[in-house]
Amino acid sequence: MTESDEITTALAVIDATLSGEAVGPEHAELAELSLLLADGREAPEASFAASLDQRAARRFGPEPIPGERSPRQRARWRWMFAPAATVGLAAIVALIFVLGSGSGPRPLVQLYKGLSSGPAVRGAAASTSTASASAASPSGSASAPAAGASLGTKSGNGVIASPAPTPSTSGRQIVQSAQLSLSTPPSRVDSVAQQVFDVVAAQHGVVQNSNVTATTSYGNAQFALSVPSANLSATLNALSQLRGASVVSRSDATQDITGQVGSAGRQLAEARALRTALLRQLAAASTAAAVSSLKSQIRDVDAAIARNLSTLQSLHHQVAYSQIQVVINSVGIPGLPISGSGGFTLHRALHDAGRVLVVAAGVALIALAVLVPVALLVGIGLWLAAALRRRRREQVLDLI
Amino acid sequence: MKRPLLRSEVVIDSQTLAVEPDAASSWERLEALYRSSRDDVYAYVATMLRDRLAAEDVTALAFERAFRKRRSFDRRRGEERAWLFGIARNAALDELRRRRRLATLVTEPEDTEGATVEDGAEVALRRTTVLGALAQLPAREREVVALKFHAGFSNAELARVLGISETAAGTLLYRTMEKLRKACHD
Repeated sequence: MTESDEITTALAVIDATLSGEAVGPEHAELAELSLLLADGREAPEASFAASLDQRAARRFGPEPIPGERSPRQRARWRWMFAPAATVGLAAIVALIFVLGSGSGPRPLVQLYKGLSSGPAVRGAAASTSTASASAASPSGSASAPAAGASLGTKSGNGVIASPAPTPSTSGRQIVQSAQLSLSTPPSRVDSVAQQVFDVVAAQHGVVQNSNVTATTSYGNAQFALSVPSANLSATLNALSQLRGASVVSRSDATQDITGQVGSAGRQLAEARALRTALLRQLAAASTAAAVSSLKSQIRDVDAAIARNLSTLQSLHHQVAYSQIQVVINSVGIPGLPISGSGGFTLHRALHDAGRVLVVAAGVALIALAVLVPVALLVGIGLWLAAALRRRRREQVLDLI
Repeated sequence: MKRPLLRSEVVIDSQTLAVEPDAASSWERLEALYRSSRDDVYAYVATMLRDRLAAEDVTALAFERAFRKRRSFDRRRGEERAWLFGIARNAALDELRRRRRLATLVTEPEDTEGATVEDGAEVALRRTTVLGALAQLPAREREVVALKFHAGFSNAELARVLGISETAAGTLLYRTMEKLRKACHD
């Protein structure tokens, strides 16, 4: 008989003995040993058994204190408070989200924009419209920024409109200018361009030139605006809040031309004084040659006065009117409603809902990409720890 | 010969629990498991530790852990009794480790004279001999005996608790019995 057979037989004898079945006389010793081992089973003392029964009846919870809620009651309270706590936590997160962003719906749009990949190209039918200057203005001989010129720039996707910085003039002659870059879906370029015209008209400014190109898949518009400097801040604020457009970047520049104005004024005054003196000399002139010479000088002085006057007026105009360059580019997916883009429709709501789901899926995917390796590492760590713990436990069996 | 009592008097209808697992709450299932296994767990732990007081503490701790972890029980990973004895085993091994660290391990076997008052002298002598031999076995072999003869486990359940194959569990049990038999003869 092989050892395997012996083992099988012995195990069968043990099981039969423990089941109360009869075994052959050749296995009597093993059967007796089995019965003696089973009979040697220790029973717990009655006091311990009673104590353990009591603890089991309490489900091994702590001793009940009169007036205190039982574990079951506490569990029920926890169950009741869990949804409230979850809602409260969500509200706090939402509040932080809103306060951190400064406005309500825009962050979602920004998030969406961050995830979306540039403008989608659509079909073909294009319509182009070009508008020329609607009003002439004196050509400001814009010289290079002199000392004292300053430039401020803001840029970024979806810049929230903020008040334009206004330089403190305090008697100085300051030329102000600004550049504004807006983004809008291609389908809204026309609408946004029209709003630019409306804003300029409302602020008593002029559109020096404009160029608007809009197709179903692409749109672009450029404007050169001149608005009263007193209205520059209001104009920029209005342009930053056009419906359907968001600010990509904004630059504000100032140039102090007090020196140039003073110089032009002095030259004008000198020319006028010279003219007055020449007129007096002319009144006192007695010879034809002297009269002719004086008249010639007076004509020259008149021309100089006219030039100085023109220069001075130009400088005053530059101070009084600020130049604004506005560029509108189409970005994003056509039809995406940007903050403040008008009425609510079921189609838009469904569209928004779809986008929200896309964004949520994207966020979930990113989170998954981070969490899966982390979870894998944690899982391996836990598995190793459990294996180590088990091994240590098992070791004691070999040592005792 | 009268069949020895291997389990507590209160025996749950494990078939009912298996068929209708959702009918009873986890509490009720665990309470039924407690009633059916209390004495078995104690006997197993007592054999492992050879210390009545420590066995009581560990038994209570095992049930406390079981009640606390009742939701972690996964029927697909085995029967409830095997799950419970797994918890008891871990608690007993932790106790053995702790006692080994403290170097106060009680090595003397329990006095079994008291349990033999009504038995014949010859049977009492044989029982004392067997239990004395059992007490001298290494912990791993004592554990096999405890699970088989004191907790009433089948070889398959025994293997599940020990985390080994059924064949290995059978072989371990056979060799332990052989060792005991020889020790009794000596």
